[in-house]
Amino acid sequence: MATLLNVVLFLPLVGALVAAILPRGEGAQHKTWALGVSLVVFFASLGLWFGFDPSRGAPEFQFETSVPWISSLGIGYHVGLDGVALLLVMLTTALAPIVILSAWNAVQDRVKEFFIALLFLETAMIGTFAALDLVLFYVFYEAILIPMYLLIGVWGSANRVYATVKFFVYTFAASVLMLIAILYVWMNDGKSFDYVVARSALQVSPAVGALLFGAFALAFAVKVPMFPLHTWLPDAHTEAPTAGSVILAGVLLKMGTFGFFRYALPLFPEAALQYRGTIAAVATFGIAYGALMSFVQTDMKRLVAYSSVSHLGFVMLGMMAITAEGLTGSVYQMLNHGVSTGGLFLLVGMLYERRHTRLISDYGGLAKQVPWIATAFLVVTFSSIGLPGTNGFVGEFLILSGTWLSRLRSPGWYAAFGATGVVLGAVYMLVLVQKVFFGKITNPENRHLPDFSVREAFVITPVILLIVVMGLVPQPFLAQAKPSVDRLIARMQAAEQRMRQADPTLRPLVGTEPAAMAFARPPAVPAAAPEPPPAGADAPAHGSH
Amino acid sequence: MPSSQDIAALLPFLLLVLGGLVLMLSEVFLTSGGRGYQSGLAIAFGVAAAVAVPFAPQRVLFGGQAVNDGCAGFVAVVVCVGLVLSALLGRGWLATRNMERGEYYALALFGASGMVLLGMATDLLVAFIAIEVMSLAVYSLAAYPRRGQRAPEAAFKYFILGSFASAVLLYGSALYYGATGSTQLSAMKGTGGGLLAGGLALVLVGLAFKVAAVPFHAWTPDVYEGAPTPVTAFMAAGVKAAAFAFLTRGVLAMVAGTPFAVGTELGGVLGLLAVLTMVVGNLFALPQRNVKRMLAYSSIAHAGYLLVGVIAASTPEARAQGLSAVLVYLAAYAFTVIGAFSVLAVLERKEPNPDASSGDAWDVSRFSGLASRRPWLAFAMAIFMLSLAGVPPTAGFVAKLSVFQAAASAKLWGLAVVGVLTSILGTYYYLRVVVAMYMRPAEVEEPSAAPATVVLAIAVAALVVVAVGFSPEPLAAWARAAVLRM
Repeated sequence: MATLLNVVLFLPLVGALVAAILPRGEGAQHKTWALGVSLVVFFASLGLWFGFDPSRGAPEFQFETSVPWISSLGIGYHVGLDGVALLLVMLTTALAPIVILSAWNAVQDRVKEFFIALLFLETAMIGTFAALDLVLFYVFYEAILIPMYLLIGVWGSANRVYATVKFFVYTFAASVLMLIAILYVWMNDGKSFDYVVARSALQVSPAVGALLFGAFALAFAVKVPMFPLHTWLPDAHTEAPTAGSVILAGVLLKMGTFGFFRYALPLFPEAALQYRGTIAAVATFGIAYGALMSFVQTDMKRLVAYSSVSHLGFVMLGMMAITAEGLTGSVYQMLNHGVSTGGLFLLVGMLYERRHTRLISDYGGLAKQVPWIATAFLVVTFSSIGLPGTNGFVGEFLILSGTWLSRLRSPGWYAAFGATGVVLGAVYMLVLVQKVFFGKITNPENRHLPDFSVREAFVITPVILLIVVMGLVPQPFLAQAKPSVDRLIARMQAAEQRMRQADPTLRPLVGTEPAAMAFARPPAVPAAAPEPPPAGADAPAHGSH
Repeated sequence: MPSSQDIAALLPFLLLVLGGLVLMLSEVFLTSGGRGYQSGLAIAFGVAAAVAVPFAPQRVLFGGQAVNDGCAGFVAVVVCVGLVLSALLGRGWLATRNMERGEYYALALFGASGMVLLGMATDLLVAFIAIEVMSLAVYSLAAYPRRGQRAPEAAFKYFILGSFASAVLLYGSALYYGATGSTQLSAMKGTGGGLLAGGLALVLVGLAFKVAAVPFHAWTPDVYEGAPTPVTAFMAAGVKAAAFAFLTRGVLAMVAGTPFAVGTELGGVLGLLAVLTMVVGNLFALPQRNVKRMLAYSSIAHAGYLLVGVIAASTPEARAQGLSAVLVYLAAYAFTVIGAFSVLAVLERKEPNPDASSGDAWDVSRFSGLASRRPWLAFAMAIFMLSLAGVPPTAGFVAKLSVFQAAASAKLWGLAVVGVLTSILGTYYYLRVVVAMYMRPAEVEEPSAAPATVVLAIAVAALVVVAVGFSPEPLAAWARAAVLRM
């Protein structure tokens, strides 16, 4: 089984290398090849999905491979998946063929390089989620920048060079300090870059732990992006070609939230508990800020970009609640955002291909001309604003209820402010739909637009299906994530115990308030009952709350 | 007297000298105009010298004045790689300008022999001789295109300043001799005092000049820009490697036996040099639109990162790690920088009027639209730029990682943080070239023919940079083994 993960990880790269020797002139050949490779990768990754064992006794990381990579420097090739990483890998492999299909006609120039970049990007993205060695993770995390930089800079729109350089420098600058932090971890965990070893063996003082947490958090906060480090995102999203926007929104931003979930929180739980109130407050502010900024945008892509800032604020808020509901909702919302915002960018891209404008004011009354596009747009909008019955509802509900019940200081305020984002989100998205699709056709150019082509129908159908399925039957997805969430909670509780030993007056930090739990717990997700950790992990306290 | 074993240990050096002599004579006995074989001969001698490295017995030579150890062997191989690649580049570059002569390769081989000797030196006098052999050859190479003003001007500047630095080094050696009674590096063990400190400081200044560390870097941009591109490539790879090898030996000897360890004043001076070099090199590279000057400032910045490795190596915790990091860095940098200069050489304008003083022969706009005109050439240059910036998966990342890891082992967190922060600046100016190649429309429509030998040099360099990025273990293990045999 371990081989399967390596196949999924490197098949896109092999595909890219093969594509490099295919003749340049044959654009169709490159498209077909890239689509074929990404479909094979997707079907192979289904094997991971069905092979993953989410039961209690199962090992935390599955499909593991651990071999030396640069043994003189102590760096290993260690990959494996826990439930959350699996979900994100699935998201990546599912979005890749959709994205490739969506770029079929949009990319006319340098077709070969475009699809090579996409395939290279896919390997780097899967690698980021699968890596279990800190340096290996850093390598994949940084390697993403190269293809993404080219995707925006070469195939983007007018202001692309500014946007792509900003994207690259911003992200690179934020993550170099993480490299130093990784080296510091290596020095203080018995000289190992292995994530599993580092997590259990790391011994640092609280002050140093806070600095290290800060270095990791900075890198991830830029990637998420959290207010006020988000300024690269609207530019990059807007200038990127559709495929780039979808990948950026769908997968790349998740690397930031995944980084918090996988690295910043488990490695430095004490620091995370100490600063989570601040991060949650910033995230809450980001929710409202992103929503308000979306409100005033005239460019559809910019609007969706700012809505991402708002949605990712939700993800961060749920994570900082450190309750089973909040974390589960946070993980679920990562997937939802990938699907729904990815879908929005795909649809905006389709409109752009028809009209070559992204300005909302150039549209209006499209519903009569392109009813199917309008329907799809409406469904994706519902998902984005979290209407019950769609996937967005499940995630936002879990996050808000998890925050409400959490042991943040005055959690009700966080939840209440966060909820304004839901309301504002409904307003700006529905206003967008109304302006673009309803009312009278004001612009004569909008009178004769073709509806979905067969290819476009194939692009958008999986997105719609995912929205509905994930909205109605969330359990299979949540079940995969549950062991990881439970383990993280147990880890945070253990940290809380350690902190309480130092300071017996410490108020409870992790988990839900017991009084509220009795009536507010959603049935789908029982509150975490920490289970025995796998061998090799440090022993958490077995306190149930 | 040197024994036969001593001679055998000098085999790589002697092969390079022999090659230089053969090429000088080839010009005398030349009967036809065909000079194509000369570069072949130079490359053959360079390869032979590199191949001879493992066969040369590892021992102390000349009663402790030089040593052939793993480190010397590693540096010799890096120098030979630099020689071979820049000879490949030089062959194409000179042939298209009708300047190919035997002296060029002879000088390059003599220069390389000086570099190999410098990598072995453990004595200030031997080091001085090696530096002079190396430098005189490189001064002449810089002045090789006699027509025009730029090259002679660069060479003259380099010669004057270089001679001054050599004189400072010599004066430092004299003070050193006065303090210790010997010119061998090992002689300072157990001594101290102001005279020794002064001598060491002056020697350090001389070496800092050779490695282009700030504030002794001022010659670098002008010389790098004015010298013929293949010579610049050779200088960047070879001179740097050799000078750093001796600098490292000197620093190691200094901390092993004198009170001037890291943490004391003289140690603090090294740290200051490293910080200044990283900051100034990167900051000054930032506004350069002339790619050749940008690469010159970038070579200053890289000297700063190498100095971090040297300082790490001077601490007991990270000695082996720091040393192997320096070696890995030198090798990675050699391939990357020669590759970058090779691409530059393909694109630079064949100056019809050599006195045209404008630097736009290497303006970044010459790279505009290269990705659509010459996709593979642009791809290779993108690899070199990313490697210089230290972005994975390239050799440059591995090099930076190993240097910073060594700094971490030595608990030099301040230097490591300055290192990564200054490398952020690098992404901007290296990316400017990538932006031009991939994201700007073509401005120059000159046919830029790349001779086959240059293409070969670029391909080899690019493949090595990528291969080391994906699988650094062979290089890292080799460097580690070289350090253990020191």
